[in-house]
This record gives sequence, C-alpha cells and structure tokens, in this order.
Amino acid sequence: MVRMGTGELDREAHVPASGEGKGGAAAPRTLAEALRARGDEGLAALLRARPDLLVPVPGDLTQLATRAGTRASVVRALERLDRFVLQTAEALAVAPDPAPYPVLLALMAGDEGDPDVEAALPRAVGVLREQALVWGDDDRLRLVRTARELLAPSPQHPSPTGLGPTVAEATAGMSPTRLQEIIAAAGLPTTHDPVSAVAALTELFTDRERMGALLDTAPMEALGVLDRLVWGPPYGEVTANPTPPVRWLRDRGLLLPATARTVVLPREAALHLRAGRAHRTPEPVPPAVTPAHEYRPQVVDSTAAGQAYTALATIEELAKEWNEGGPAVLRAGGLSVRDLRRTAVALDVTEPVAAFWLEVAYGAGLIAPDGAAEERYAPTPEYDEWLALPAAERWTRLAGAWLTATRTPGLVGAQDAKGRTLAALGPDLDRGAAPEVRHRVLTLLAGLPAGASPDPDALLARLRWERPLRGGAPDKDAPGTDLRARLASWTLTEAELLGVTGRGALSAHGRALLPGAPAPGTDHPVAGQGNPEAAAHAALPADPEAFNGRRPAHSGVAPHAGAAALLAPLLPEPVDHVLLQADLTAVAPGPLKRPLADMLAVLADVESKGGATVYRFTPASVRRALDAGQAAADLHAFLAAHSRTPVPQPLTYLIDDVARRHGHLRVGAASAYVRCDDDAVLGEILADKRSDPLRLRRLAPTVLAAQADPATLLEGLRSMGFAPAAESAEGDVLITRAHAYRTPPRTAPAPVPDGPPSPGATLLGAAVKAIRAGDLAATVVRRDEPGRDGTSRLVDGELPRTSAAETLATVQAAAMTGSAVWIGYVNAEGAASQRVIAPVRVEGGFVTAYDHTADEVRTYPLHRITGVAEVAEDQL
Amino acid sequence: MNGPLIVQSDKTLLLEVDHEQADACRRAIAPFAELERAPEHIHTYRVTPLGLWNARAAGHDAEQVVDALVEFSRYPVPHALLVDVAETMARYGRLTLSKHPTHGLVLTTTDRPVLEEILRSRKVQPLVGARIDPDTVAVHPSERGQIKQTLLKLGWPAEDLAGYVDGEAHRIDLDENGWALRPYQKQAVQGFWHGGSGVVVLPCGAGKTLVGAGAMAQAKATTLILVTNTVSARQWKHELVKRTSLTEDEVGEYSGTRKEIRPVTIATYQVLTTKRKGIYPHLELFDSRDWGLIVYDEVHLLPAPVFKFTADLQARRRLGLTATLVREDGRESDVFSLIGPKRFDAPWKEIEAQGYIAPADCVEVRVNLTDSERLAYATAETEEKYRYCATTATKRKVTEALVRKFAGQQILVIGQYIDQLDELGEHLDAPVIKGETSNAQREKLFDAFRNGEISVLVVSKVANFSIDLPEATVAIQVSGTFGSRQEEAQRLGRVLRPKADGHQAHFYSVVARDTIDQDFAAHRQRFLAEQGYAYRIVDADELLRDVDPDLSGA
Repeated sequence: MVRMGTGELDREAHVPASGEGKGGAAAPRTLAEALRARGDEGLAALLRARPDLLVPVPGDLTQLATRAGTRASVVRALERLDRFVLQTAEALAVAPDPAPYPVLLALMAGDEGDPDVEAALPRAVGVLREQALVWGDDDRLRLVRTARELLAPSPQHPSPTGLGPTVAEATAGMSPTRLQEIIAAAGLPTTHDPVSAVAALTELFTDRERMGALLDTAPMEALGVLDRLVWGPPYGEVTANPTPPVRWLRDRGLLLPATARTVVLPREAALHLRAGRAHRTPEPVPPAVTPAHEYRPQVVDSTAAGQAYTALATIEELAKEWNEGGPAVLRAGGLSVRDLRRTAVALDVTEPVAAFWLEVAYGAGLIAPDGAAEERYAPTPEYDEWLALPAAERWTRLAGAWLTATRTPGLVGAQDAKGRTLAALGPDLDRGAAPEVRHRVLTLLAGLPAGASPDPDALLARLRWERPLRGGAPDKDAPGTDLRARLASWTLTEAELLGVTGRGALSAHGRALLPGAPAPGTDHPVAGQGNPEAAAHAALPADPEAFNGRRPAHSGVAPHAGAAALLAPLLPEPVDHVLLQADLTAVAPGPLKRPLADMLAVLADVESKGGATVYRFTPASVRRALDAGQAAADLHAFLAAHSRTPVPQPLTYLIDDVARRHGHLRVGAASAYVRCDDDAVLGEILADKRSDPLRLRRLAPTVLAAQADPATLLEGLRSMGFAPAAESAEGDVLITRAHAYRTPPRTAPAPVPDGPPSPGATLLGAAVKAIRAGDLAATVVRRDEPGRDGTSRLVDGELPRTSAAETLATVQAAAMTGSAVWIGYVNAEGAASQRVIAPVRVEGGFVTAYDHTADEVRTYPLHRITGVAEVAEDQL
Repeated sequence: MNGPLIVQSDKTLLLEVDHEQADACRRAIAPFAELERAPEHIHTYRVTPLGLWNARAAGHDAEQVVDALVEFSRYPVPHALLVDVAETMARYGRLTLSKHPTHGLVLTTTDRPVLEEILRSRKVQPLVGARIDPDTVAVHPSERGQIKQTLLKLGWPAEDLAGYVDGEAHRIDLDENGWALRPYQKQAVQGFWHGGSGVVVLPCGAGKTLVGAGAMAQAKATTLILVTNTVSARQWKHELVKRTSLTEDEVGEYSGTRKEIRPVTIATYQVLTTKRKGIYPHLELFDSRDWGLIVYDEVHLLPAPVFKFTADLQARRRLGLTATLVREDGRESDVFSLIGPKRFDAPWKEIEAQGYIAPADCVEVRVNLTDSERLAYATAETEEKYRYCATTATKRKVTEALVRKFAGQQILVIGQYIDQLDELGEHLDAPVIKGETSNAQREKLFDAFRNGEISVLVVSKVANFSIDLPEATVAIQVSGTFGSRQEEAQRLGRVLRPKADGHQAHFYSVVARDTIDQDFAAHRQRFLAEQGYAYRIVDADELLRDVDPDLSGA
C-alpha cells in the first residue's frame, strides 16, 4: 500500500493550479475536482447525505472537499453507511490506492465470484462516491484518505476484514540479508535490492498457482497455523524458539515478524488463502424483515385505534390527576421515584408505562414544571387547547411529538454512568439516535404487507445491517443489548402503546404519519437497488418539516392531517347516555361526551375503565356532587335526562337521603358557630365526647358557638358523622370547588438530535448555488493578469487592482462584448469581495451587470471596484 | 363492530343483556369468565387467571378465548389483554401431577426452567420428595392438595392427571318416581362428574340436595356428606331416603348427639371441628371408610380446619354446593383450589325465569329513630352502635304491621339479637327459635310451621341455612350479622322455594335510617342487587299508613 504523504490531503482537496483537465473528459485528480465535475443534483445529494458539511455553508468546492475529508465528518459519514457499503469501503481500504473496479470486485466477490455481490457493488460504490468517501473513475477508485486511515488495518486497530499489513509494510525495516533468505526459501531467485525482493515475494503471494504450489509443500501443522490466522486477527505470538511449522512459515515469509514476540500473516498470503475475499461473509443483500404474524388489516387498525383512544384517555387522566398541581420537581429535575409510582398507581399501569405516558405528555408540551419557587409539575395552557381538539388530532399531536422526540422513556429507572437513577421527566434522557431508529423501525414496518407484524429479531438484524456502526455502547446490565437494540424494542412497545401499531403491525393511520413510507409489501432492500440517490434518501429521515408534528401546528396547518382523517372514523363515537342499574351502578357503553363525563365523574366513582366506563354511586360521591353546587333536583333531572333506562328507585333514594342530610348543619365562619333548626341535633353534638376539642357552647336552642376555627370545626363535625355545610357572612352556603392549576405558558422541549437536521430542498438548492458561485469566483482563470503567467489562481483575499481608467475601459469593453469580468469590490461597509460579473451597461459611474456570484443583476458604483480582470470564457 | 360485549382494561367484560347476540356471547365467554354481577341491563363478567386455567382444564385453548373476545367485542380489545390471556393460559399444563408406576405421585414438567423455579420456592420444598430425573420430581401423596394450592399461588397451576380413587362401591340410584331432575340439575351433575371435583353454585331453593343425590348416583360409592347443622343433616337424610334407593339404615348421622358411620354418612361441620386437648378427634371420620365421594354442603361456610384436612383428600372426588360463593374473609380461592373449580353456576334470575324458584319482591323499609334513640345512638360506643340502631322500637311496630298485612301467609321473622327476637315473639305471639332451642324442639316447631299450625315463626341466625321451609312466603329481617352479603342471600333463600300456587315471595329488610344499619344494609344487599334483585325502598310511615291508618304518625 502506498502511504500518502502529508501533503496528500491538501492535494486531494485543492483546486489544481492549472486549467488543465477542465470539463468532464479527463480524470479528476483531486476530490474537489471530482466534486466540481458533478451536477448540482450530485452536490445536493452529497449535502443531503452529509448535512454536517453545510454548517456553515462552505465558501467553495475546495472548502467543501476539505471539510468532507475531516476526520469528524468522515466518521459521521461512515457511521451512516449500511453494512455492504461499509464492507466495500473496508475492502477499498485494504486494496491498492487507487484501485480499479475489477480489483475491488475481486476483493468483495472472491475468486469464484458472487452474483449477489456483483449486482450490489455498483450501488455500494455509487453511495460511497455520492457521499464523497470515494472519488475517481472506475479504473482509479480512491478512498478518501481519512477514511482509509480509519478503516485500514494497523496493529492498534485491527481491520474488520481481519487482514494484516502487506508484505511491503511488514518487511519495512527488515535487513536485506534476511529478505534474501526468505525469497530463497520461497524458491525465488535472489535479487539485487530489497525493493525488488519485496516485489518478487508480493508477486509470488498474489500468484494463485505458484502460491498454491508453495503451500502444497507445507507441512500439515503449518497449514493449521495459517488456518487459525487467515480470518483474523492475523497476529500470532511466537516464542523465542518457535515450533517447526511456524519456523517453516516464517522462513518463507508466510509469517513475517511484527514485533519481537509476534508474527503476522501478510495480507497477500491471507487473501490467497481466502480465495481473494476481503470479507468472510459479504452481505450484499439486506436481511429481509420477515412477518411473524399476519392479521386482517381491519383488525390491526381497530386494535390500534382502540389503543390510540386509550392513549388519549390516559393523558387526560394524568392531567386530571395533576389538575390541582402535580408532584414536585426534583432539584436535579424530573419526578421522584415515589411520585412516579404514585402516578403509575393512579393510571393503573406499570411504572415504565407510566414513565412513557409522562414523557409523551411532556414531549407534546402538555405538562411542564410551573417555574414557581416550590416547583411542581402541572398541565400547560397548551393542554387546554389540546383538549379542545377533535380526538384524532389530539392523537396526531401525541404521535408527532413522540416520533421526533429524542427523549427516551425506556431509560427511566436505569442508572447513568455516575450511578444516579434517571428520573422520568428528568435530565439525561435525550438520546440522539432515538428519532432515527424510531423512524427506521416504523418505515421497515411500513414495508411489510398491511396487517403483518415483524419478527423482532429479523427487524433488529436489518437495523444492524443498515447502520452497522451506529449500535451504541452495549448496556452493562444486559450484555448483548446495545442501545439501538433497546431503542428498537422500545419503539415497538411504545408504538403499540400509542396505537401507531396494532398487534405489532403498522396501522393505516400509523403509516400516514410517515411521509414517503414505502407502500405495504414493498420491502425494498434499500429503496431502489442500484439507484444510489434513492438509497440515500431512504436512509435518511424524511423531510423534517413534514416529519415533525409540532412545528407546523403553530403555523395553523394541522400536521398529519392524513393520519387524523384515517383514525377519526375508527375511534369510538362518544355516547350521550348511560344505563342506570338497581345495584347503584351506571354503565356508559362507550366514551361519554365531555360535559356528561365531567358531571358523572363528580356524581359517581369510576369503577372500571376501558371501552365503557362503569360508575358506582355512593353516598360520598353524591355528597361530592352536592358540594359542587348541584341540588338534588338537578341530579334527578340530570340522571333522568341521560339514562336510557328508568332511574332505579334505590338511586333516587340515595340522592334524596344524602341531599336531606347535606347542609343540614350550618357552620359560620365569622364567629365559628354551629346552627341547626333541629335542636336535638345540637344536643347530640354537645353530648358527644368527641366534640370536646371544638369547645362548643349552646348559644340558643338552634345555635352552637365554637372556639375552634371553622375549618377545624367542620372537620370535627364530619368526623362525628355529620355533614355540615360552611356558611358565608351573608348566610349563603359556601361551596369549595376544585380549582384548576396551570403552569405559565411553556414551550415543549426541543428534540436534541446529534447532528444538524437534514436540509430541506430549498436550503439545499441555495447552498449548492452559493458553493458553486463561490467556487467560480475562487477558481476563475483570468487573462492578462500582469505579473503572472496568465492563468494563475488568485490567492484568497487578494483583490485585482487596476487603475480607474483601466477598470472603466475593461468594463465597457466587456459590456459591449457581453463577456464576463472578474472584479474586486469593496462594499459600503468596507468589506472586500471578489465577484464575477457580466456588465450590461456602464453609465453615470455605475456598472449594471449580471453577477454570476450572486446569480442576479446588480448595480455597482465604479469607484468601489478595486480592479478588474478578464475571465477565461470557458469558465462560464 | 356492534357486539354485545365491552372488554374493559381491568379485565372485566360487560355484557349488554338486551342485545340480540347476548346469549351467543354468554355461551362463548362462560367457560373462562366468572359472572360477577347480573343486574338488569349489563352483566359483568371477570376474566381471572383461575377462570382461564379452568377453561384450559376443560379443553379450551387461548385461541378460542381470544376469538370469543374479539368476535363479540364492540370496541377493539386491548392487545395487552389478549397477550395476557394467551400467556396466562400457556402457564397451565407446564406442570402435571400424575401417577408413576414405581414412584407413586410425581410432578413432571415440559419446561424445565419452570420446575427449577418452583423447586426453589420455600413453600414447595417440603411438599416434594426426590428428583427422579431432570423433568420429574416425586410428591408425597398426602401433599397432593397442598402442592396444587401452592403451585396455583405461584402462578404455575398443575394439571392433575393422577385421577381419583373409586372408593368402596355402594349401590345408589335415583328413585325418579313422580319427579325428575331438572335440566339445570342434570347439567350440574354432568359438569361436576366430567370435571372430577368442583363446586356447583345454585340459588337457594333450587334443589342443591338433589344435585348431591345425583352425584352420588353417578359415583355409586360410599359418600361422606358435610353439612352445617343437625337439622340440616336430618333434612338431607330425609331427602335422600325419599329420592334415592337408599334406605333409612344405609344413611348415618354423625353429629353431636349421634355418631353413626354408615355407607352414606352425614356429618356436621361443628362436630368435625370440635377440638379436645389441641386435637380434632372427629377428623378421623374422613379415614374411617374408603369414601368414594365427599359432599360439602354450603361450602361458603367451610371452616378453616376442614379446609386444611380437605387438602389431604385430593384423591377422592369432592363436590361443593353453595348458593353464594362470597366469603367476607375472601377465601373463595381456597375453596376453588381445594374442593375444585366452579363446575356449574346459574344466575338466580335465570332459574327464576324457568320457574324453579319463586319470584321475590325485595323491599327495604326505612324507619326513623326516635329523638331519644338518636341521642343514645350518637353517644353509644362504636361496637354498640349497630345494636342500638338495629333494635330500635320502631322496627317492632313495622314488623307487627307487616305481619298484619300478610296475615294468613307463612311468615318468618329473622333477626340477630336475641332480646329483640324475644320481644318480637312476645308481641307477635309467635314461637322463637334461637341457639339455645333444642334440636327436638326446633324440628317440632319447623314441622308445625310446615304444616301450617303456626303461621309466624321468629328465628335467629340458626335458621340461616339449609332449613327447608317450602311454604314460607314472607321473610322479615329486622337485624343481621353486620354487612354479610351471603347471609342476606341465604335469608332471601328461605322464601324462594317455589310455592304450590306459584305466587310471589316477599322479603322485607327493616333498616334504621341514617345509621350504620343503613350502611350495612347497603352492603348486604349488594350480592342480591348484583344478581338482579332490585330492592324497593319504602318509608316506614308510608307502610304503616297503608296497613293501618290509625298507626300513622305514631
């Protein structure tokens, strides 16, 4: 392998000094040249695939090429390659540089060839080229130097191919005598110098026939040693006095010394033993995501819709639970374990599921800390807005927020690196990979036939194939399950909980959440084999604007309207009646309309939830309704109006009984008194030992005064079994009502993706144009440049300088001929720039010209132009 | 999507009774779901692990259960619930109890980790013997019931394939002369026999004794019958001699007074649980013969020592009979695991609709305490409060008015407090049966009542169960054992025997308003309300006015 010099990077990135090789005819000599030769669409594809290159927008193609070659960017790009493309890159890293396509194919397919690999390789090379990881024509494929450094084997970083260094690398520094001994032992004639000796040995190893003949003479044990090393790691330890088979191999250069105690199998020899293959198992075809079960799509949709409805009900229940102020925020942020447990009990779910609902509500901006000194969680004002939306839209808000969220509720309860427990709604729950994994999982589900649920293992295998390097660190608690595997499995459970999937299969409304999802049953290995651009598209999250449910919501356009429309008819229709039964229960045979549900929730206790709701009337619940300001007559009328069945007599009695006693006793606040028309009751109270702490005194036959404050007095009387009502100064009954508690307006937490968002089409277009223009300005070739040999490139910041007369003449001439000129220009702020303009007319000290740099017609004051130079025609 | 069933997330199933598919749905879900409440419009079933395992034992699989739920459900069934059903049902049958030719009773598994898991449990360890092979472990034959109960609690129910001993054969035939087993009784007998062991739940008055007799005729073996008291034992004997080929001599009574052991022996729970010097001397009755069948009457009253002993009788067929399998101590599941699962259950209203029990009018009469009583009630100690309100004098007036109203019919006045009953007996001029009344005296009075010589009988809780008084048509309950649901049902049961002329039965519960008596009454009525008996509420004043205008306002 030829090691590139330190200047290589520069050469790779920079524009050639000469104008030779312009146009598409000659092979590009640098990456920048290769990029320059691309069409706008090609550049756009690169920027779409590697959005990090766009931040900030590079000035020109040279800058773009340099940035594309930086280590961070290359690592990021490699991480986003699928397994086969990565394998191709790895093979290129062990191939000579540059490598012709057939050499690469031989490395990938082996000597025998492999039709799958042959079919898939053009796509892989295409992807690498598109992402500017490989450049050059098919006869000279070059892996970007940084990528080569990252992927090529070295003793510190063994290559995934398991190949070792080449003969040339391994013999560097070996004494010429020893080299001659080796080639002699290998049966080769001695040579004059080490270089030719190495070449001869390399030639022997790469010649299948001669190498085969050589190995035929090897002792069996020696072949065994080779067998152990052939698929890597290629290093073996040897003692000072190695065994005969090792000695045999070492003598013939089949094992070369790596350090004092280790030997290495040279790459050429290993490749011979592997029949030319760089990888033991090339994986040109992505593992198929196999359906585990198939259900009728209607069943899937209705199950998912049912779950979607549960999701809404759960969030509402959560908000109701926290209506009067939720639990306190921990000092470090988040919810305490005890509060999480309490919430789980209130929602009647397990703690992990409760954490999920909390995070969904939080992610959708429906709950938030209130920001008060004693910080607590509470529903946000946005919750009230959300509540007013139709059910299907409420759901798409939740699902949209979930899709793009980087917060991962699955981590709640786990411990971070410092051993602190991760709290629900707390910090450190963001995982940048989450939205991507979530989107990929759902897209893969979308590729299955409608109604099919995936085999999770196959799904995971596919994810691993698509992003072999993006697995994340394995969890120390559960070895073998890396972050991605867990994210994927969380995605499946969470999607099921939210009702995006039903019985494991993607529902129709879930599918509508994914713009550009493949049609059912079209599991393209990587959307469109052999079409690298389409492949790159598929591998990226779709258009972020459409993908994110929240942002457009503020702009007034309902997001995911398609999903909402599909879901709406599947959600249970709210009913406006209940069935009252003599066992003092009421059954609402479906979701209740809101005012009815709210009223019933006060009047009766909920006994069972689900598709229907079972309510039970108890004295306490009826009293609650009376406390809320309802009169007995109102309650009778309400029940009669909303019951499909006659109101059972026991229920009528229950309400009357409670109403009769409700407010029977009246307690004054101003002077703390008890009055009652029935003096026997007061006698009863006075006689009761338990009234002693209240220090009651009979004022009149129907009035008692108390020394205790009214609240204590009320408590005391209630504990004695009375149902007193508080009275205002005017003698009205005071009714305490539930007071809704809200945070100040809160914005929902923004997702924290790792890396810039995928650029939109507009941004891409503008960026490409800007880079092109900048590149043009930087690389125009000028004629008649004084003091130069006519075609030199201008160094950055060096403005052309000509006298005013010269400037005017040149510009006028250009206006007449319609040719472009290159100008130095200082704007009103004093900033200097270079521009390429085609003057249209020159008048009144102004030049009106088409500015190639800005791509529009502009007017320039002549006195601001520092100088002008002609531009070679073919540059435009 | 318009089925009669609504599946709730708490695993209850709501069945709309008026729906056209309601019957089909009821049949589909009955094998695995327990009917919990059956009021007029919506019946509530509950899916429990026990119910699902019983369904597995009866040959239903998870697919059928899921299909039944999905087919009849009005709304989508939560996937989690379906998964849970499948997972729960899959737990059954991983462990089996069977007879091994050389090792006796063994526990085998098809899933080795399960066996490892349960063997690690400290509760299982003392019940098992040597490990025979990796998948098999020996079980002490005497621990068969215990291990089944323990495994059930651990969530790995064992399928019992060890079978039953036949017991000592004894010829018993039903003597169907001029009568026949009713269809539901036949179903109950068949259900029990196919299941091997279990509980039959039938309403009071629906002929549970005959189900017992039918089971005996199937078993044709010596039988031990356990009943609540001596009067009940005599009634059983009477009924058996009348309805089967058994003669007077073949049926023995094992009670406080007599200790006969015959091919069919009827014993009382009381004598079995008599403890002398720390031991139960009469429990050896269980071993005194090679019983082929053991019948537990009123199984909801099974006392704790009998529970324990029953665990050792797993090789014998066991039949439990009850009307109300509700225990305030919550030990229903022990009944199921030791006697056996519920084999037959008929809602009260269904039997009523078939005409086998009398329709009943349940009324709650609310009486007001007088002012002085209210003061006394308010100042009473907590444990005395119920007594104060339950024995208010107003109740006496109401009872007298009711007795007058139904003059000429057979009336039972039932209460808890002896003072109150004695006082009522005095005022109504009626005999009182209470704990201290001798058995002979009791039987004499019951006979007189049956013959119509006495029309009003005041009884304490001794007459709660198993007293067959076919002609009683009115029951007036003045006080009860706090909030006991099954007592209320049993008392209603006293008047549910179908009447010769088919007329309605009346059940009055007299309750003091605004006291804990009312709270207890509400709890007591729950079982019956859930069985569809809707209580009417009547004010005492109103009632008194209706019956006797002179008394109003008194």
